[in-house]
Amino acid sequence: MRGRLRALTRLMVLQATWNFERMQGVGIGYVAMPLLEDLAIQDPARHAEAVARSSEFFNCHPYLAGIAVGATVRAEYDGVPGAQVLRLRTALCGPLGALGDRLFWSGVVPTVMAGTCLALVQGAGLAAIVLLVVLYNGLRVATGIWSLDAGYGAGMQVSRALANSWLTRAASRINPVAGFAVGLLVPKSLAWLLAGADRSFLAIAIVVGLAGAGLAFRYPSRATSFRFGLVTLVAALLLARGIV
Amino acid sequence: MSLDAVPLIPLLAWATLVGVDLVTAPQGLLSRPLVAATGAGWLAGDVEAGIRVGMVLELFALDVLPVGASRYPDYGAAAIGAAVLAAGADRWAGLGAGAALGLALAALGGWSLQLLRHANTRALSGRTAALAAGDGSAIVRLQWMALLRDIARSITLGAIAIFVAVLARPVVSDPANGHWILVAAVAVGAAAAATAGGAVRSAGRGLRLKWLMVGAVAGTCWAVLG
Repeated sequence: MRGRLRALTRLMVLQATWNFERMQGVGIGYVAMPLLEDLAIQDPARHAEAVARSSEFFNCHPYLAGIAVGATVRAEYDGVPGAQVLRLRTALCGPLGALGDRLFWSGVVPTVMAGTCLALVQGAGLAAIVLLVVLYNGLRVATGIWSLDAGYGAGMQVSRALANSWLTRAASRINPVAGFAVGLLVPKSLAWLLAGADRSFLAIAIVVGLAGAGLAFRYPSRATSFRFGLVTLVAALLLARGIV
Repeated sequence: MSLDAVPLIPLLAWATLVGVDLVTAPQGLLSRPLVAATGAGWLAGDVEAGIRVGMVLELFALDVLPVGASRYPDYGAAAIGAAVLAAGADRWAGLGAGAALGLALAALGGWSLQLLRHANTRALSGRTAALAAGDGSAIVRLQWMALLRDIARSITLGAIAIFVAVLARPVVSDPANGHWILVAAVAVGAAAAATAGGAVRSAGRGLRLKWLMVGAVAGTCWAVLG
């Protein structure tokens, strides 16, 4: 696969042009361009069409976008009709988005962030943060390489390859781990952050925490955690300054 | 801490990396508040303060699912501002005021992200014909201009965060300014609520919820016993 290294590098800046019209589309085109260079020599007309198709609307989880790039580039080299390539792109948006969100945003990220917070609570210091960034970015790059190769290897059969890949199994396994890690983090971090404070302040934090969690659960769209945090903090600032 | 005492250039460089990391490149956790605040705390000479305020904001950020076109707060520069404010300050004042400033700046960051996306959409509309013709140079130009826009957004946001944090320092340092420990307790409680509420909501009724409860019980025992 010529241009693979450049495509991998570009995969890391895929979302720079994220916009409301084509979402990741232009970014996908940017990643696909080095891989399509041979097509320009073989069939210049097809190459121009392929580049145009590659920058059409697309959106999925950024870490798994390489699968779509690899599969569609392979389909272009295999001479698959343009309309079919576009259908493949459209069909990949949902599964790659849902799977990536479930695996990374809901699974891996909460797990590693909670793990790092707990390590810091135990006195790990700056080294824990450095280790987190190095290991996570190693995983990020490895996923990018795998996704591009897996997509290119499968071409139009990418859906089957995706169903049999490690992604679905990993997403199922990481979710209970994420739940456990976050559950462990909440009381432990609360106790650590307020260590040394009078018990009455610990009680205030617990009451505020329970009230906020209850409101967020009961009214998820209106009482967002962000709004609750802002309102309670403004109230606490006013109280602390003796204004209320 | 005056503006002279702050390592402005390294902090701005860090804010730029952190800001660009959120969406543009490479989404490698630099923009997580825990990472951003610890880095800023280290640069400002107080890692511990950075870790503490970063952890509070991280608890808020764990409730965010950054999917598609959804609007969400940008905690990167916010965490940097919070860490600069907390560095060298009294523990409770740094925690409480840092969290309050961090949330306000995160809202500003989220709004700036929407502006960036609209700017990218406008830039795209001027090049649709070139894209339809398969003009690769149009794609490259759009990509680089968008990257520069996000760099500009990140520098601006970082500068605002650091400037506001330095301006707010005298308020935090003044012992007459009330019971900061109350603000810190409320901040920690609200942050715990954010993580817990978000975790319960996203856990559904399956295995994840069961393990979340097991974790919460284990964490409570751990916190109580030591």
